[in-house]
Amino acid sequence: MALSRRQFLVAGAAASLMGTLPKFALAATSAHDTRMVVVLLRGGLDGLHALPRPGDSDYLRLRGALGEAAIRDAHPIDGGFALHPSLAFASQLYAAKEFLPIVAVAPPYRERSHFEAQDCVENGTQGPGGRSGWMNRCVHELGGSGGLAITAVMPLIMRGNNVATTWSPPLAHAIDPILMQRLQLLYARDPMLGPAFARAGTDEGDKATQAGDKRGHLADALGAAAHFMSATDGPRIAFVEDTGWDTHYNEAGILQRKLFELDSGLQAFKANGDAIWPRTAIVVVTEFGRTAAVNGTNGTDHGTGGMAFLAGGAVNGGRIGGTWPGLANSQLNQQRDLLATSDMRGLFKGVLESHLGVAAAASDARIFPASADVASMRGLTRTA
Amino acid sequence: MAPAAVTAVNRFGLGARPGELTDAAGDPHGWLLSQLSAGAEVLPDALPDSLDYLRQEGTVRDLRKMAKDSNGDMMAQQAAKDAEKDLRQRIRQEIALRQQVAVVTARSFPERIVRFWSNHFAISTDKNVAASFAAPMEREAIRPHAFGKFADLLVAIETHPGMLLYLDNTQSIGVDSRAGMRARNAPNPKAARRGLNENLAREILELHTLGVNGGYAQADVIEFAKAITGWSLQRPQDASNTGAPFRFNANTHEPGDRRVLGKRYREEGEAQGRAILADLALHPATAQHLSFKLARHFVADQPPSQLVAAMAKAYLASGGDLSTLYSAMVRHPLAWAPTARKFKTPQDFLVSSMRALTLDGQKDAARTLDLQARMGHPVFQPRSPAGFADTAADWSGPDALYKRVQAAQTLADAAPQVASNDPVQMAMRSLGDGMDAETLTAVRRAESPRQGVALLLASPSFQWRA
Repeated sequence: MALSRRQFLVAGAAASLMGTLPKFALAATSAHDTRMVVVLLRGGLDGLHALPRPGDSDYLRLRGALGEAAIRDAHPIDGGFALHPSLAFASQLYAAKEFLPIVAVAPPYRERSHFEAQDCVENGTQGPGGRSGWMNRCVHELGGSGGLAITAVMPLIMRGNNVATTWSPPLAHAIDPILMQRLQLLYARDPMLGPAFARAGTDEGDKATQAGDKRGHLADALGAAAHFMSATDGPRIAFVEDTGWDTHYNEAGILQRKLFELDSGLQAFKANGDAIWPRTAIVVVTEFGRTAAVNGTNGTDHGTGGMAFLAGGAVNGGRIGGTWPGLANSQLNQQRDLLATSDMRGLFKGVLESHLGVAAAASDARIFPASADVASMRGLTRTA
Repeated sequence: MAPAAVTAVNRFGLGARPGELTDAAGDPHGWLLSQLSAGAEVLPDALPDSLDYLRQEGTVRDLRKMAKDSNGDMMAQQAAKDAEKDLRQRIRQEIALRQQVAVVTARSFPERIVRFWSNHFAISTDKNVAASFAAPMEREAIRPHAFGKFADLLVAIETHPGMLLYLDNTQSIGVDSRAGMRARNAPNPKAARRGLNENLAREILELHTLGVNGGYAQADVIEFAKAITGWSLQRPQDASNTGAPFRFNANTHEPGDRRVLGKRYREEGEAQGRAILADLALHPATAQHLSFKLARHFVADQPPSQLVAAMAKAYLASGGDLSTLYSAMVRHPLAWAPTARKFKTPQDFLVSSMRALTLDGQKDAARTLDLQARMGHPVFQPRSPAGFADTAADWSGPDALYKRVQAAQTLADAAPQVASNDPVQMAMRSLGDGMDAETLTAVRRAESPRQGVALLLASPSFQWRA
């Protein structure tokens, strides 16, 4: 086996180089040293399939065989809901009161474009576009501890002026430390690339990579996030993303696999981050829900009200969050999809305030600009 | 070397090969415009066409079924495996060939334009049914049409198996079509569930033509989706058929007039959808959308609105002619402003590095495909139908820059150690005036030629298309 990047960095002259580069600021290890991971499922997870309603005649009417696929072998929970059969680990967490589904939530954006809706989830405003993300602005409020995105390129949610870094499995090629040193001098002169380059190569993740396996990208990514966040000087907030949730066609088969990957991701995080699990809230979101009725190709099209999951030892779970609007024709949004009864910003704000200790004034004005009228969801986590 | 030559070769083109900066120095505008009239490279006829691929996929499916039905017959299983391996191998070869063409071509401006459209009309090999058709779609639909009328390019794309399969239109059925009515009365409930799929219609409006703010509504999406029901493919087993794999299936076409963007389109079968596409191609929102994306790709992340407006105007005045659109951009002074520059994507970075190093072999090209994927830019595998991002912020994070250094080192290691790859000379002939004194000094002081080459390729100056 070739010398891994980590072994190389430790063994080689790069060890001294690493000392000169900024690391995550040291965070205190106390009960308040909490961790938050945001997982964005890009493409629009069908919440009605992940969280089916076995006894609901409207549900059965709208969903037909697609609904039956979700209900068969599902794990029953409260409020007439069940967890999709692939969410076995999540249902254990639910029983342990560490898993909280939140129904009928969506970003304030009301059109049905993936890319604009994702922008809106990421930029923390009412509309698409924008050049900075709310997690980056959150870094500032946390006073020094940087943000981490488990991605090859910096996602909008983590973009901005505050310290944030990206990580993804490295190329199997150790860098000549001298080359790196000389490049540092050149990049220091480039105002656009300099700051990013100064942080390049400071994160080692071989342990995290080894923890990954065939359970899909989310297991790798969440496993790696847990690894980084477990360090005493690790990031307090991290972002993980996944694609492949846009189920226009053959939805039952696709979501059976994808929800298993999500379930495996949660499990991988707990396995790698056992020590921080009691202080962790993982927030799983998606840009919108899908049509209430099945479409012509055994799938569903873009809709509105979606769902979110909170998981982790700090989560006040074992119940259903959010307000369920109902699936009767008169209750649907434009007679097409689930009504969104909660603004996703309220969910994020609730976690930031109760779990990360961010002041309401900061989340109302700076992290989610002009959002004072969006109430923070209460009681999402156990920490005061 | 005039700075304009560096811009022509490195920002509009794919990066300097040895001698190119000198070639372009006399008349940088003319260097680009003459490439436009010559058009893109034509790939060898010997490559399989989409119909071949469609048939080959049919064969793989048949063999798999035979193997499944054979109760573990080793021969049958091997035959299915071999056929599938052969198909994958051909696709890999075509993608490697495409990369090689980008490295060696002397007409790198049209080649960059071809790649621009492949990303504009993005399909992803992530989706299995479309995986065989991404490279053929570029070869069959984009190369021949990227320098003519946009309307023709658009029709070629939306009738190509790659797009029809990727965005599910082959699955879409008019509810009141003959097939739809039959399905409704069918005893088999599985058949009864098939119906309209909006996916292709939505992405044509949002991504391919008008743009997300182009002024269409959900009702337009549905009407348009109905108009293109029946846009489908030949069945692979109809081996006697020749020509394009596209087939209009009147049985699944939703009957009736349609209203899209306020205009009524009479029921004319296949011609109904074509008429809508023709109007979309010439819509002012489309002109704006295409001009903005092209200017963002070739000029700057935030292109000057004056430039975009001039391009859109030229496009509409020419009846949607793409060469006119490109020429309007090249002739506009704002496209040459000193502030205009672009950060290379991983693909740009690798292709320009290989051009600088003259790593011209097909094996070299094939090797870099894996590198490109690991840098977050897998060929024909964007994360969504919106394609890969096209601004610096998307590609210049710490981890991405680190991987660039790793890739630069890998490429430097792969470069033949010959006199022509002396790093100082290479720096001069690939960056010309774009090279700053500090980088040149660093390259000159490198410990070894190899390290000098790696330093050049990983330097910030080389990351920008100036």
